[in-house]
Amino acid sequence: MSESSPLSGGPARPALRHPSRRALLRGSSGAALALAAGAALSACGSSSGGGQGGDAATGKVTVWSWTTAATALRSVVPAFEKAHPDITVDVVDVGNPAIWDKITVGLASGGQGLADVLHIGCDYLPGYLEKFPGGLADLSALGADRYKGAFASGLWPVVSGKNGHVYAMPWEVNPLGFYYRKDLFDRAGIDPTAYRTWDDVIASAGRFRHANPGCYLIGIDKSATTAPDCDFLQSLMQLQGAFYFDLQGRVTLGSPQAVKALTVIKELNDAGLVGDASGDHGWSNLVKADKVAVSPLPAWAAHYLETEFPKQKGQWRLTRPPAVTPGGKRAAIVNSTHLAVAASSKRRRAAFAFVEFALTRPDSMNRMFRAGGVFPALTAAYSDPMYAQPDPYYGGQPVLRTFTGLLGEGADATNYSGDYARALKLASDAQVKMFLKGGDPATVLHSAAQQLAQQSGRRIA
Amino acid sequence: MTFTAARGASAVPRRPRPGTARRHALPYLLLAPALITFAVFKAYPILDSLRISFTTGTGSASHDAGWANYRRMLHDPLFWTALRNTGEILAVQVPLMLGLALLLALGINSALVRMRAVWRLGVFMPAVTGLVATGVMFSFLLNTDQGALNWVLHSIGLPKVDWLGQPFWARIAVVLVLTWHYTGYNAVIYLAGLQGIPRDLHEAAMVDGAGPLRRFWSVTLPSLRPILLFTVVLSTIGTLQLFDEPYVLTQGGPDNATLTVSMYLYQNAFHYFDFGYASAIAYGLTVLVVLLGAVQMRLMGERE
Repeated sequence: MSESSPLSGGPARPALRHPSRRALLRGSSGAALALAAGAALSACGSSSGGGQGGDAATGKVTVWSWTTAATALRSVVPAFEKAHPDITVDVVDVGNPAIWDKITVGLASGGQGLADVLHIGCDYLPGYLEKFPGGLADLSALGADRYKGAFASGLWPVVSGKNGHVYAMPWEVNPLGFYYRKDLFDRAGIDPTAYRTWDDVIASAGRFRHANPGCYLIGIDKSATTAPDCDFLQSLMQLQGAFYFDLQGRVTLGSPQAVKALTVIKELNDAGLVGDASGDHGWSNLVKADKVAVSPLPAWAAHYLETEFPKQKGQWRLTRPPAVTPGGKRAAIVNSTHLAVAASSKRRRAAFAFVEFALTRPDSMNRMFRAGGVFPALTAAYSDPMYAQPDPYYGGQPVLRTFTGLLGEGADATNYSGDYARALKLASDAQVKMFLKGGDPATVLHSAAQQLAQQSGRRIA
Repeated sequence: MTFTAARGASAVPRRPRPGTARRHALPYLLLAPALITFAVFKAYPILDSLRISFTTGTGSASHDAGWANYRRMLHDPLFWTALRNTGEILAVQVPLMLGLALLLALGINSALVRMRAVWRLGVFMPAVTGLVATGVMFSFLLNTDQGALNWVLHSIGLPKVDWLGQPFWARIAVVLVLTWHYTGYNAVIYLAGLQGIPRDLHEAAMVDGAGPLRRFWSVTLPSLRPILLFTVVLSTIGTLQLFDEPYVLTQGGPDNATLTVSMYLYQNAFHYFDFGYASAIAYGLTVLVVLLGAVQMRLMGERE
């Protein structure tokens, strides 16, 4: 969930009760959309998609972003304005989740009032492309295609529309990591770096539990009391190159990969390795009480663990996540955020010039990483020495290096689609059925997939 | 004018008196702000959502869908789950709450009770408590590990209950909160009803030798019938539209055990941007409310 990344800054991170506040986010943006859609509809289709912009290459470019990401973007503005004296840039920190309301309302009203450059998460981008066709500028027309190979693999399909044209440029990427408590594993005489698959993890359950009574491997809000807790399930699917939807937008919630992912969780649970992180701060409380040995979280968590659990300094380590199937991929991109240009912008060329300057130059990207903690999608940025620096919180391990290594392996693209919120809810229901009622993974996922297809009008792959 | 002429009461055609038109317009002018506000903020959205219920898609991608949303509703397992949940909560909670409210009202109305005003205030207090405050308070009370309710259960030797994490208990929790919130409100209505029963009726019954129970069945209850009907219909409509309490407390979970029709409607509109379907659900719910209301009026009002 991009909103629980460092980009979402202060408000979202402490509430990372484990997964997402996405329901909330969707809720608020939807409320705004209700107003906007009502207005747009009653105005008899005044919303033609906002293609009335212009291609001016000069003028004042306004950028909408949020918290630390906005700070990061501001750090490249002076250099950009120096290189492009006839363009000025104003970065506005709209805040998260407020930014989703503002973008949704703007798109629904045909692009009125939108900024020129918009910062959009991977979970909102496909929805905007599907529901407001023509709302975002076609960046291929502005020459974006030449950067196709410049970003971590798996990101280009995310920013591309159905017609193959590009509608946003990748900025932040969050590869999945396997953070583990070295002290707890040492006690059991287990070396997690030797794990090849999640089955290996399950096989070591007995030893782990014997050495650490009352301690779990991971924490999940089993009954989804505060919000869907599907991050781990999603990650296990993403490790197999799968998700709720395939790249064509067909439903794959009942696919063998999805069933395998939920089966892994069921087996971990049956082995007594899943702690119940229900209630507010359930997950944080488990971690604080030294009851969670593994956090399968993406790159942004490196900083998050350090600030949330300072007492556990030196006890955490990071390694590559085990594969789901023998010989399978061990790299997954959990989420990403991007910069898009509004189609209604009067100066799309100027806007794209700024996006290009900020996102395709290693110097800009690393300056932003330092200023706002936004893990760069641009692979050329990884040669900077900062990625090899040891981190004392992780026992001197250079954690960033692990992530750049993972991105080098190449991860598959994820299609969140415009029905992600619906899919998330149904997947969460299926997982809750498995936890609370002992539901069989294949059965619960197949019926969830059917419901998803019925509700979204999509076909099952 | 044709109207007066047709009456033929007088052969002399009545000339319109000066100022008539203005006098006729005046009430409408005075009503206009309310009427316009009603039309813009109530009537228009209500009618427009009927139109939206026959469309699908959102934003610039919206198009006509005919009856598809209504057909979809009939075949949507989650809609039926929501309806069943709402029905079950209705069947358990409304009789429980109204029974309790009646007992409370009888108690407060009793001449034996001192400081009745204080009791009345105390009983009514929960009804004015804000929704969010209620939700937060009960999520503290019902917390599995640190909740006060489980602490009490534990201290009298009973096992802890996973109030919000188990489907069955989550429903009990919702019933509990609803009962806490609205019982006092209904009790106050009953109290007003009780105080409206003429004293002589009770006195006459006493003279005839009727005991307290007999008087309750034969005098109090029949006299309260219109009030009972009022509260039953009101509570039924309220429960059918139930949203706030389960939303704050359980988000409809676990496993949709406390998902209500209104909440499902809300999810479709504001989580999934599916306003067409949400509007169809709204109209489905409206039909249901009207039907149930009519049935209750029939059943309870008939013997008047």
